[in-house]
Amino acid sequence: MTEDIEEPVVPDGRRGTRPLPIVDAVAPPERLAMLRILIGTFALTYVLVRLPVFLQLGERRTGFDGVGLATLLDGPVSDGVVDVTVVVTVLAGIGFVLGWRFRTLGPVFAIGLLALGSYRGSWGQLLHFENLMVMYLLIVALSPAADTWALDARRRTQSNDASTEGSTRYGWPIALASLVLVVTYVIAGIAKLRYGGLDWVFGDTLRNHVAYAAARLDLLGGTPSPFAGLGVRLEWLWPFAAAATIVIELAAPLALLGGRIRTAWVIATWLMHLGILAFMLIGFPMPLFLVAFAPLYRIERLWTQRPSWARRSSSTQPAVAR
Amino acid sequence: MDRRARLLITAGVVVALLVPLALDRDGFPLSTYPMYSRARGDEVTFATAQAVDAGGVTSALTLRVIGDSDDPLIVAGELRDAIRNGRAAERCEEIARRAAAWSGLSPGSVGIEVVTERHDVVAQVEGDHSTLDRTVHATCEVRS
Repeated sequence: MTEDIEEPVVPDGRRGTRPLPIVDAVAPPERLAMLRILIGTFALTYVLVRLPVFLQLGERRTGFDGVGLATLLDGPVSDGVVDVTVVVTVLAGIGFVLGWRFRTLGPVFAIGLLALGSYRGSWGQLLHFENLMVMYLLIVALSPAADTWALDARRRTQSNDASTEGSTRYGWPIALASLVLVVTYVIAGIAKLRYGGLDWVFGDTLRNHVAYAAARLDLLGGTPSPFAGLGVRLEWLWPFAAAATIVIELAAPLALLGGRIRTAWVIATWLMHLGILAFMLIGFPMPLFLVAFAPLYRIERLWTQRPSWARRSSSTQPAVAR
Repeated sequence: MDRRARLLITAGVVVALLVPLALDRDGFPLSTYPMYSRARGDEVTFATAQAVDAGGVTSALTLRVIGDSDDPLIVAGELRDAIRNGRAAERCEEIARRAAAWSGLSPGSVGIEVVTERHDVVAQVEGDHSTLDRTVHATCEVRS
């Protein structure tokens, strides 16, 4: 994943019109399909790993304060409703990944996760790492992401109705996802300056956050990061780390330029999340597993340019390829 | 989809992302991303629950016993909300039920206390005495 996203081109049939970034981005259908597979697999795995947490929500009756989609509810729903939502979301997620009945199951999966995330966040604690995942899912679910490398595409090929050319049809949703990615990081950077002010950078705030995360875990009977004690003693480190965090977050739009500057930002951001995990034991799974950065790259090459050992042990196309 | 529609939707998505920032209102999936953004001193008040023996000596529980979850954000957030909303006693009974079934409960534990404690977090992490203040919001019996 080292190549630039493709340059915007003049949109179809509009010669002489100046291309706009994001809006006129083009990509082959395989890139959007790979984004569907990556995001879908990640989100489906996430739901399955946290299945007990989601299923347990049905037992809760007090402390409900609706957020997101759950603001439409007057109060907690029955455990049966939660169970059905979880099961339907998981089944739709399988369809999402395989690109089967995608026009229906894609949105069902995205809305299912939006509903589950909203309901889970309605009991006193929002988990912000779910936000980007849900926004990616909504974008991909409403795009033609199953035009290739999908069971739907196989059926369409048989009826000679497949679209294979690169266009804004496939490039724009990917570029929109990358725009969402960078805007969310910028908002996080603004939040630190807005709520924490310059003290967030030049004071002991970040060091105290690390100590706070460790102390909270300890007092709740968990196991704090083994690096927290060492980190807290390295007082000189934290103003640099805080400044780097702000710069990384506010500089996120540079990633849209592509090339080395994008990859430098991705590496810096990944290291930032690795540091958060190491010192605070707080994991942001999407960036840590690199899935968050997928819209910035020619990810179809993960399959089309896979290593020779993988070519020998597989057919020339994914199992769900047309 | 034509270019104008793509342009409008793109602009709409950016505006939607920025609305929580303008309103200063966190939500899902549109957020102000306020996590760890506030300035924080080294003295912090925590909500937690502890087992207590007949002599008043406390011992730690686990995330699972306190909040029926392995996620400290969820456990801490929900306990904090329970205390704030006057449901500390109710939550204490839930914790006591889980504690009674927990094999790691300290011998001699007779009750649960739902508390807020104020700590010097740097001292706490460095293993020094850190408790500055302690308030008990609810106590309840552990029935074995």
